[in-house]
Amino acid sequence: MLKLAVPARWQGAPWLLCAFRPFFLATLASAVLLIGLWLGYLRGLWPLPTALGGPLVWHAHELLFGFGLAAVAGFVLTAVPEFTRTAPVGRPLFFWLLVLWLLARASFWLSGLLGPWPAALCNVGLALALPLLLARRLFAEPSRRQWAFAAGLLSFALTAIGFYSDLLQGLPPMRWLHAGIGAMLALVLIALSRISMRIVNDALEARQADDPQDEPRVYRALPPRRNLAIFCIALYTLAEFLLPGARVGGWLALACAAALFNILNDWHVGRALFSRWALSLYLIYWLMALGYAALGAALLWQALPMSAGRHLLTLGGMGLSVFAVLNIAGRTHSGEELDPRAWVPTSAALLVAGALLRLAAGLPGWPYGTLIVASGLAWLIAFGLTGYHLGAVFIRPRRDGGLGCEEPLDAHGEEGTAPRCG
Amino acid sequence: MRLLRTLLGDWPAYLWSGWGALASLLLLFAGWQLAAEHYGSLVLAQPLEAFASLGRFWAEGSAVQELAITGRRALSGLALALLIGSALGLAAGVSMTASMMSRPLVTVLLGMPPIAWLVLAMLWFGASDGTPVFTVFVAAFPVVFIGALQGTRTLDGQLREMARTLHLPPHLMVLDVYLPHLFSYLFPAWVAALGMSWKIVIMAELLASQDGVGAALAITRSHLDSAGTLAWVSAVVGLLLAIEYLLLEPLKREVERWREPS
Repeated sequence: MLKLAVPARWQGAPWLLCAFRPFFLATLASAVLLIGLWLGYLRGLWPLPTALGGPLVWHAHELLFGFGLAAVAGFVLTAVPEFTRTAPVGRPLFFWLLVLWLLARASFWLSGLLGPWPAALCNVGLALALPLLLARRLFAEPSRRQWAFAAGLLSFALTAIGFYSDLLQGLPPMRWLHAGIGAMLALVLIALSRISMRIVNDALEARQADDPQDEPRVYRALPPRRNLAIFCIALYTLAEFLLPGARVGGWLALACAAALFNILNDWHVGRALFSRWALSLYLIYWLMALGYAALGAALLWQALPMSAGRHLLTLGGMGLSVFAVLNIAGRTHSGEELDPRAWVPTSAALLVAGALLRLAAGLPGWPYGTLIVASGLAWLIAFGLTGYHLGAVFIRPRRDGGLGCEEPLDAHGEEGTAPRCG
Repeated sequence: MRLLRTLLGDWPAYLWSGWGALASLLLLFAGWQLAAEHYGSLVLAQPLEAFASLGRFWAEGSAVQELAITGRRALSGLALALLIGSALGLAAGVSMTASMMSRPLVTVLLGMPPIAWLVLAMLWFGASDGTPVFTVFVAAFPVVFIGALQGTRTLDGQLREMARTLHLPPHLMVLDVYLPHLFSYLFPAWVAALGMSWKIVIMAELLASQDGVGAALAITRSHLDSAGTLAWVSAVVGLLLAIEYLLLEPLKREVERWREPS
């Protein structure tokens, strides 16, 4: 039987201490590289790789299956063992998954030369590997089976299969990438519910400590509202897939927006909401809701192009959530407290501004080209700053003496109480 | 005053909680859109076509005018039913004999189809306002009556005894012991009667009046105007939802606050 191993030169390398490290590094690198290349291409500075499907498919595919999947892989390979209380994912396994991710990138970028098969095998293989490898852990405890995560990961894998099936048949594959956005956003909602419980309640406790006169409050991410939003997103995604451009999709998109705003009923917990991480997570829901509202307006009244709403979802909702996950899960599982420095809110604000600029680019009469570049630059600076500050954390050994994915350890080598991702 | 302050203070959070209801309604619109596209606009107009018609009625002024007429009739009938139904129901509840005697009568009233009352009302009141107002009254009355009756019958005797032992002044006895309990029975009955009154007034107008939303519906039906019909339906349902969620529900939450565990 094939036994996986990490090559000798990287045995014990700090960037391989925990599964999220290499994948979050890949996320940061691809965030900057993919948008940098895309902006240069739009300005006519250089051509894009000769990928099948053309430049737009390359842009969407890479941001979803490159940038997005790297973040998802890093998160689930670290968080699922944590909240299912199973052993961490072995280093050889995630190392070779990273190699598969790199091969998937290379094979798709060169798919114009190599044909679709190598890219199909690598990309589908990686997307399917995650739910299959984690299945046992997700269903380990009969009373706490993680159906939502399993379904989210499987639907994401399904969009990869569909994409390559269309590509192999010579059909336009873009519809699968649009469906992939739906699957990704559903995963974001599931992941956020776990992260937010810790972050918002910590903010509430801090607020309570500052001002004991405040009435004690507890935040709970209750499932019914989240499930309604996921149900609406699933319906919209299905409608967009089966009936692209139809008005029924417009109503469903508006329903998604309302259902996402509805989740925020849980979030209105007073002034604690204005702490940096609670607010960043809160804004993700706003961006997603506005994105679906814009898609609804596009489908029902042709008020603006679909791409304006779609970018609010991806650049805004997905971008900000990846940024938050990298910061919160990444730092905590590297044994660091959350970063108190100013670059964090600056980057989050840049991502929000970038999403809004991209929306404005779609409005009639606004300078499209300039706003697209401005929006792209906001993303580049935000992820550039994140790469500079956070990338350093992911490649250096833990300062608390930890040797894996544990939360910050105290002087006695015990796990502390800092925010964690699961 | 305290009620008003609480209502105003909770208003933003309450309004925000409406997003969930809006999401469900938008899912309904999606279903409506799908059905409209399947059957064609002649059979079922699309939501946007219906809303465009409603916008036109609004601009012409007919929407406000017809809704005001229908509202006046529905509310007159409802007010009569609430006053008389609540008063008689409370009175009947006080006496075991009266409640025993009134039950079969209420069953008869509840069992009588509103359309039968409408035919009788047309004979008695002709095409005047009397027909829809009476039909609404007679259909809503038993619902309110039974609510009031049950409220009185289920008053907690031990609680009353305790209040008496503590020498609670009569006005506090009414405000803090009787009213909250009665209201928890009366209020749902009133809300049910309100919903009923809107449905019945439109039916009565459709068959027996020259004006009001019901009459406007009769005209759109004769013109095979599916968008116009759905516009009127949307207006009535929208108004009902607004009254229920912007007025009645906050009121209900406030008066039922005593039920919450402290």
